[in-house]
Formats: sequence, structure tokens, C-alpha cells
Amino acid sequence: MVERLGQFFRDHFSHWVYRRLPPSRSVTLNNRSLFIFPSKAGFGFLLLILLCWLMATNYENNVVFAITCLLISVFVVAILHSFSNLSGLTLSFARATPAFAKEQLVVELVLKQRVLRQEQLRYRESLSLSFVGEDAVITTLGDQEEVRIKVSLYAPKRGLYSPGRLTLESVYPLGLLRVWTKVDLDISCLIYPQPVFDSPKTFVANSRGEGPLQVGDGSEDFVGLNDYQVGDSLKKIAWKHYAKERGMYTKHYSDYQDERIWLDWDDYPALDREARLSRLCGGLLQVSGTDKAYGLRLPGIEILPDNNEAHRLKVLRELALFEVPGRGQSV
Amino acid sequence: MIPAWQIHRNALVWLLLAFAGVILIHSTHLPNWITLAALVSAIWRVQRYRGVWPTPSRWVKLSLLAMCLAGLFLEYGSHLIGLEPMVALLVSAYALKLLEMEHRRDALLVVFLAFFIAAVQALFDQSIGNAIYILGCILLVIAALVGLHQGDDQSSQAQATKPRALPKLQALRSLKKGLVILLQAIPLMVLLFIIMPRLGSLWAVPIQSHSAKTGVTDTMRPGDYSRLGRSADLAFRVSFDGQIPRQHQLYWRGLVLSNFDGRQWSRSKHGAFDPEGLVEGSPLQWFGKPTQPWDSLIKRLGQPTRYSVVMEPSQQPWLYSLPTPVPQNTDIALTRDFRLISSEPITTKKQYEVDSWLDYKIETDPLSDFRRAAELYIPKGFNPRTVELAQRWRREISNDKALVRKVLGLYNEKFVYTLQPPLLGKHSVDEFLFDAQRGFCEHFSSSFVFFMRAAGVPARVVAGYQGGERHPDNYLLVRQYDAHVWAEVWIAGKGWIRVDPTAAVAPERIEANLEEALGDNEGFLADSPLSLIRFRHINWLNNFRLKLDSLNYSWARWVLGYDSIQKELLKNWLGAYNPMRIALALLIAGGGLLGLLALWQLRQRFSSKHDELDRVFLHLCQTLEKAGIPRETGEGPRAYAQRVAEQRPELARQVKAINSVYEHMRYGSESQERLKVLRKSIRRIK
Repeated sequence: MVERLGQFFRDHFSHWVYRRLPPSRSVTLNNRSLFIFPSKAGFGFLLLILLCWLMATNYENNVVFAITCLLISVFVVAILHSFSNLSGLTLSFARATPAFAKEQLVVELVLKQRVLRQEQLRYRESLSLSFVGEDAVITTLGDQEEVRIKVSLYAPKRGLYSPGRLTLESVYPLGLLRVWTKVDLDISCLIYPQPVFDSPKTFVANSRGEGPLQVGDGSEDFVGLNDYQVGDSLKKIAWKHYAKERGMYTKHYSDYQDERIWLDWDDYPALDREARLSRLCGGLLQVSGTDKAYGLRLPGIEILPDNNEAHRLKVLRELALFEVPGRGQSV
Repeated sequence: MIPAWQIHRNALVWLLLAFAGVILIHSTHLPNWITLAALVSAIWRVQRYRGVWPTPSRWVKLSLLAMCLAGLFLEYGSHLIGLEPMVALLVSAYALKLLEMEHRRDALLVVFLAFFIAAVQALFDQSIGNAIYILGCILLVIAALVGLHQGDDQSSQAQATKPRALPKLQALRSLKKGLVILLQAIPLMVLLFIIMPRLGSLWAVPIQSHSAKTGVTDTMRPGDYSRLGRSADLAFRVSFDGQIPRQHQLYWRGLVLSNFDGRQWSRSKHGAFDPEGLVEGSPLQWFGKPTQPWDSLIKRLGQPTRYSVVMEPSQQPWLYSLPTPVPQNTDIALTRDFRLISSEPITTKKQYEVDSWLDYKIETDPLSDFRRAAELYIPKGFNPRTVELAQRWRREISNDKALVRKVLGLYNEKFVYTLQPPLLGKHSVDEFLFDAQRGFCEHFSSSFVFFMRAAGVPARVVAGYQGGERHPDNYLLVRQYDAHVWAEVWIAGKGWIRVDPTAAVAPERIEANLEEALGDNEGFLADSPLSLIRFRHINWLNNFRLKLDSLNYSWARWVLGYDSIQKELLKNWLGAYNPMRIALALLIAGGGLLGLLALWQLRQRFSSKHDELDRVFLHLCQTLEKAGIPRETGEGPRAYAQRVAEQRPELARQVKAINSVYEHMRYGSESQERLKVLRKSIRRIK
């Protein structure tokens, strides 16, 4: 019952917080966006104050009483100090480095204090940044104007990923009070499919052309014999050699192939969408390391072969966003 | 990703310094082995940090704990409930926790223990020096707390742009932050101290068990007072409403000793209360309670003298006052022998107010048989020579007053007043009167009272203090060496009259002070070799001593004794003393203080963008005003710029540029660069 009541309040509180702090790429922290509450240590400190007060009262000792008053005022003054550690900071989302699914995604944030004169810069100590379910990153903004913070997160699945609200909190200076904010920096990160690597031959294009000779599996010109491997087509086995008991070989032919490779959706008829995209992604990683041009064919999308970084990112982006709802958003 | 939290150097430095500070001040009343164990634990902690010594294992920790508990049990045995055992237990826990702490949670516990143990120290000593020391300890503890929560720069990403700060500077930063917090907390502390109501003891608490009783005791043997003459410790301070009475009027009555067993004077069982004579009364008359019938025995004449006494702890219940006192505090009673007594022994400084009628007559009616017998009693078989002489003189002189004068004359003739009297045997009064003839106040008063009783005049010994040092700030300092005993004799029709036989032999003692009366080489202050009083003849040192005492006295009156004036003070300030007013005052004054603090703490945001910019803009307006184009009231910057451009076409371009920068800064983002540009271009206008 108590638990459910607690949950009820927590839910309502977060709802209230979210309404107060609508999504925005950059948030300047002020009394509207910052929340403050005693930490566990703070409640411990209040207990200490109670003990000191009991001691002062029972012994009718005014020095202990003064110490009790001092501890109370330290607690109150600490509220201001805790608040000012975060207040006035601007937290913004700089960029997110795209990552492959199931890997670590890096989000770059900027913490900035805007001042006119150098001496107004304040130490901002022990700022802890964390996304829900992730480890916190702790940083200190010394007497510099801004600091870039890289927060790595787990990239769960392909597509546009929003890691949710970012919690920025600090208990500095005394650890007795926790000041925090939960901001939605409107972060969306591009997550590529999780690459799956097949053997390289999958990526040979089946269209023929007049390019330079490619060593590959073809049917036009005999090139030589290879050792038989399980799974080689029976048609290609050099039966003559086998008959002469010289061993089992396959005849190896080569085509004059187009050097352009197509990463084609239709190559994996048996697989579902995500599996196909994973294989295409793996293929892309393999071929983009070579100097071959490669293109992408997805239902309704065709990217003509090319080979440069921009092209690679374009292809990856298509793979990431294929059939993702709301892909129209800029990333 | 994030390294496991550990106590870094910065926090550890302050934790250890705070530890040292707290333990050091407690070491005076802790068993030595605990202090030693604390030292070992601190060293172990440092060595652990340096990686030289290992982290104590579970078994080591458990056995250390068992050893501490066993040690405490052996040390205190049956007196386990007391202040000292409690402190010893706390300190042991503190030391062990310091040694074993691993996580931030442990460190926080260590910090809280440090706060508490530092506060406990004030139960032992409330002096201003000690309070300042405790404040210093609290500063160290706060610095440690800051250090615990400060960013460890070495692991922080922020250092990418900046070479890492020296650890030393980091540690100083913790101290600085702690100091700022502490200083900012002090005004609010003062407010809380003044306003927060005191509830009084909620339940009985263990008190110090080993503290020595000091000062005047309730028995008197030869030699007791000469011992006090060697000590310059403070007994009490008194401030009078108005003039301090003359020195020879300052007889601070504390005890009345009516019983004599041949060697020692002590209080009589009922303290002059006659259980047969006045059955309807009780021996104590508490302040605010109905008057006892025996109160009518006192005839108070003239105007009372009001004064306030701040007594040092004596561990005894009796209080000192001028005759004839009427207490003004609730827990104080007047006794049947007309002195004051507190409901509890004085274990901490105590302040009380008294009205005394210096002009008085007490017990002028004939004494009851019971009372008369008590005040005439002398044990059989002691001091036969004195008894013989007394009876001879009695036969010669029938007038009591004349008899008193004759005895005093005897003292004046041949006796010597000294702090170093010879030892006396069984017939102490005989030996003193006829052989030694050298003595201190207890010899004179004892022999006098004995003599009077032997001659059939009711007499008793009164113990207390006489005189005191007048402080320039108009209060009186009474020290242990002012301890004194004198006599009271009962004379028909006059009642009890004070007779001080010491005054007969050494009038300087009463008119000036003991030092004057004794001269050199008398062992005066022999027990206080370093007391500043010894150096009274050095002017600046004496001034310093008096200033110091003035401070101590103010501390005792206004801080330690604040409880007794709080109600009155708050009633004056707030108009009434009730929870509503108190809460309101706390809210308004506290809110005001906090508001000021908040302004101060967060001032940067108020002064950052607009203030600076407005200053620059104002400067521009003034410059242009000098140039003959003042800004109209309510004219916006843009309109103003337009007008300036029309009137002074040669300035048009510059003013427009400035305006554009201004608007950009005002409504867009500001930066230092832009502000510089703006300043520069304004300067160029002239």
C-alpha cells in the first residue's frame, strides 16, 4: 500500500517535472528547472542535529546549544550553496556519434556557464550526468567557461534512438542536499543495424559488365583448379581429374565483372527485415574497407554505387532509418 | 567505467586533521590508552593510504573492537553510566571507524561522529577559548565534508582542457569553501541562539564523575583556608546594579558552621532550623514559594542592593551572597541561617540574581533553648586553658560587646597573620592562643568562636569569601584566595553581629586584599605560578589580563547565562513572549538573513549581463549628453540612435553600430568580446 502510494507520488512528480521542463536542445538551469531535497546523508545530519539539541537541552549547556544552532544554519546555508553549484549552468546537446546497435553510443553534451568577466567563473564541482539505467559520468567545471562531456550509452536497437531524460545532479558541497534536474535535451541518435558478417562471396554482384578482370566465382573463362570444398557445385567438379585419381578439384571460372557491388535486399529472401539489414550492414563494413564502389538496393530505395565517406554514411543512414517511423526528422 | 569511489587525499587530509583536533581536546579526560589507540589508528590510516600497511581484515577489526570494549569495561567497571565512559566509547568508535572506512558512507559516519564528539567537549568546558577551539574543529570537519564531495580532478574529464590542479590547492579549496559556509552560517546561528526557546532538562543525564570539588567546603579544619590562599582560580564574578559596596562590606556568606568536635567545624544538622520551635515551617524558603514563618526574624532596613552572580562550577550546592539575601531565581532557596542554596550542585557556570539588604537585624528576640544550646556547644575535654581564660574574663566583664572588644584587642596586640601557620595538635585553640600566635583566618575565627562560646556568648563560624578585585568594567572578581572565615556572635537586643577577628590582626586583608596583608615570601599564589595576577605590576600585562577577564565575564553572562535573561529580552523585543511571536520573529529575521545571503551567493547572475551592459549604455548617454543631445525620458535606444544620427550625421554610422551591438547583447547573447568592442566605440565618440 505504502509502496503504491509512493509510486503514485513519484509518477505524479515526474509528470509535473516533465510539464515544467519541456524538451529542448539547450536548457539553462534556474530555480524553475532545479529541484532540491535532503539526501540520505542530509537526513542523517538532521538526526545529528536532533541529538545535539537533546544534549544541549538536557545538560542545559548553551555552548552545545550554540553548536546545534550552528549545525542548523550550516544546513540551511548549504541549500544555497548546493543550488548555486548548478544554477546558471547551460546544458546542451552537442551531437551524438552514431553507433551500431548493441554497442556503446556516445552522446556529447556541453555544460557552459555564461559570464561576462573571467572572475565570475565559479567552480562547479562533482556534476553527475546520467541517463536512465546508465552509469553516471561525473565532471567538474573548473574555472573554465565550458566543458564538453561524452556520455556513452548502450544503443539498444536500430533506428532513431532517444535516450530519454538526462539527470544532472550534484550533492556538492556538503553532500547533505541533492540538487537535480531531469531535462529532455531532445536527443535523438542514429543507430545503425547490428552488423552481421557473412562470407565475402555473398556480395559479388550478379550483373555483368565490362570491367577489369575479377577473381571471383563466375562461369565465363576457365582460370584454374581449386581444392574441392564441401558445398561447391557438382557441375564445377573437375571430374576428369577425379577419375584419374589426382584428387578432387573444382574448375574455377571467372567472369568479366562489374567492379561495382550491390548490397541488395533481395539477396536474403529467407530472412526477415532486421536480419537482412544486419547482413547488408556487415557487407557494407566489409566492402567499404576496399576501394570497390558499392550501392544499396532496398525496397523503394536505390543508392547508386560509389566509394567515399559521405557515401558510406549515406548508406548507413538508409540502413538505420529503413522503415523507421518518423524518419522524416532531421538527425 | 567510473572507478569505484574511494576517499581521496583531499578529503583524507581534512578528516585526519579534524580527528586530531577533536581527540586532542578530549585527551585530558580520556584514559591514555584510548588517546594512544586513536593515534595508532590515524597512523595506520595514513599508511593504508600510502599503500604501506594493509587494510585491516575482518578479524583484525573485530578483535580491535573487542579490545576497546574490554578496555572500557576494565577502565570504568561499575561506573559505566557517566559522561566520561560515554565519551570514551564514542571516541573509540570514531577511531575504529576512521581506520576501517572504505566508502563514502563510512566517511560520512566518521564526519558525523566528529561533529558530535566536538559538541560533547563543551559539556566539559564552556569557556570562550574552548568554544573557539570547537568552532575550529567544526571548520575542519566541514572542510572534510566538502573534500568528500569535491570533484576528484584527476579523474574528471574537465581536466582535458586544463592541466590538473595541484592536490594541495585542491585541499585548500575545500577549506575555503568550508570557511565560507561557516561564516555565512554564523548570523543565522546567532539568531537561532537568541530566539530558540530553551525547554530545560527533559530527563536526568549522567554528569561528570571525576571532577574535583573546589573552593570552600562545608567543614573547616586548620590549614584549609591557607591552601585556598595559594590559588588564583576564579570563584565567581558579581556585577551590581549601581555602585559596588565598599570593600569591608563585601562579606560573601556561603556556609554557617555551628558544630565543633574539637578539631573540625561543620554545619549543624538542621542548619539553625529548630524542628521543635517552629513546627509549621520548613528549613528552606524557595523563591516564589510562600514565606516561611522564620522569615520574620529578619528585619531588612533601607534599600536593597541588586546584583547578579556568575558562579564557576564548584560541584557544591551552596551559593554566595551578601547579607541579608533574597534570591530572585526559581531554583534557589534561602536557608534558616540566612544564606542561599541551589537545588543542584553547581556543575556548570551558574548565574543568579540576588537582592541583599546590607543594613539588617536578625534574630533580635531571645534565642530558643534549643538554638541557644546549639550555638553555645563546646566539646568537653578540649582546650582547657582557653575555657579557663574565657570564664575568668567573663567574670570580669559582664557586657558582651566589651568582651568581644577585649578578645579582639588580644589578637591585635601580639598575633601574626600568615599563610604558613605552624601545625597544631589536639588542643588546637589553646596552642594557637597561647603558644603559636601565628595563623590564618581559620585559626582566628575558630579560636574566637570557641572563646566566645566558652564565655557563654552564642557564636558561630561563617565561611565564604571576602572582598574581590574590582574590574574597570564595574564588576567584581572573587577568587579562591579571597576565601575567608569569620564569626557571628549573638548579642541580646542586637541579634547576630558579624565579627571578623582577622580584621583585628590584619586590617589590610579586609580593606585591600590578601597580598597586601601578607607581604612578600608568604606563599601567596604558590599554586598558580603562571597566573597573570602575579604580574599585576606590569601595566600592559595587567591591562591585558583585565580585558581578557572582561571578555570571559561577558561570555559567561550573555552566552552561558543567556537562559536566565532570554524571556525578558525577547519580551522587550517582540512585545510578548509566546510561540506565535517567536515563530514570526524567526521567520521574518531568518528569511531576511537568508535573502541577503542568497543575493550575495547568487549575485553573479544579477550583475552579469544587464548591469554591465546598462552601465556601458549609460556611459554612452552621458557622453552624448555632453555632446548636446540628451536622451529624452522614455526614449528607446533605437529611437535615440535615430535622433542622434539625424542631428549629428557625422556620428550616425558609429551610433548605429553601437546600437546594433547593444540590441544584440540585450536581446541576444552577451559576450566579453562584444562588450569590449562596445566600450571602445563609445570612447571613440568623444
